[in-house]
Amino acid sequence: MTIASEVKKSLASLKGIEADLSSLALRTQDHESKRTLHETMMVVHEVVTDLKKRVGELEREEFQYKGF
Amino acid sequence: MPEWLEVVIRSLLFVVVLFLITKWLGKKQLSELSFFEYVVGITIGSIGAEVITGLERNMFNGIIGIVVFAAIPFLAGLLSLKSKTFRDFIEGRATVFIKDGKIMEENLKKEKYTTDELLELLRKRDVFKVADVEFALLEPTGDLSVMLKKENQPLTPKDVNLTVASVKEPQTVIMDGEILDEPLSTIGRSRNWLKTELEKQGVTIENVFLGQVDSYGELTVDLFDDKLQVPSPQEKPLILSTMKKCQADLELFALGTEAKEAKQMYSKNSEKLQEAINKVTPILRG
Repeated sequence: MTIASEVKKSLASLKGIEADLSSLALRTQDHESKRTLHETMMVVHEVVTDLKKRVGELEREEFQYKGF
Repeated sequence: MPEWLEVVIRSLLFVVVLFLITKWLGKKQLSELSFFEYVVGITIGSIGAEVITGLERNMFNGIIGIVVFAAIPFLAGLLSLKSKTFRDFIEGRATVFIKDGKIMEENLKKEKYTTDELLELLRKRDVFKVADVEFALLEPTGDLSVMLKKENQPLTPKDVNLTVASVKEPQTVIMDGEILDEPLSTIGRSRNWLKTELEKQGVTIENVFLGQVDSYGELTVDLFDDKLQVPSPQEKPLILSTMKKCQADLELFALGTEAKEAKQMYSKNSEKLQEAINKVTPILRG
């Protein structure tokens, strides 16, 4: 596996976490926990944005692995 | 009318009267918190028994007696809501038995409690050593309230600076294989949602003896068939472990890359993620 695909894998996992946290936050009744979960989701979202950018750069470098 | 029939009729009537009166007086009467409730409880019971079996007496005199006796604690309750002095007089005050870790012998004598009885009361509160007690108080109801010395008190999350996630009360949504709609709508869920959750766990609604939903929307069930194993909810620990894995991955990428800018970006994000993990761990761990 190349680095690009490794990064892509992590990116996919993080996106999954983001979605899971979001759905958990929606289902949670307690306001304090709801807020914490939501804030965590936002942080994960920032990380996802940065990684996406990096994936774009990597794709330019290793062009043969371009995809998704 | 044969005598036995009259006893039956009177008994039924008095059951109704006593039921209504106890309802009217409320929960306080049942717990017999004060002197009044104690006396009224005994007296009403005796009057009832007397009138039911004493056929020569007029039944309605008995009912009047009961109503009067029920009215007194009711009025006393109203008055003691208004006045603290009256309340102290009627319900009595608490007596300090142990203060600063020392037994107050005078107060013990005043309430006519022997040392054995004090020890018994302490044992009922799981205290076997008087030296562990900082403060103890005999309530007007005869219960002993005990405050242990700080080092003997149970450890709480606050003592060890542990942050724990706050929780709301769970709702019971399935009882005896039937869905309860009211608690379900309290947490804003539908029957369909519940059916999907049950399907996820692979159980049928008829087989569920009791089902509860916690404040994170997780359903836990107890089945009629105790041989079946129900999987415990894995969603939250799974999120946490995936987060940890991604954080570790980011660190690896940071080490692996040659590009300076990318290195910085990776390590910044891995730190950010680590902070987020620390913050959310108390919730996801539970």
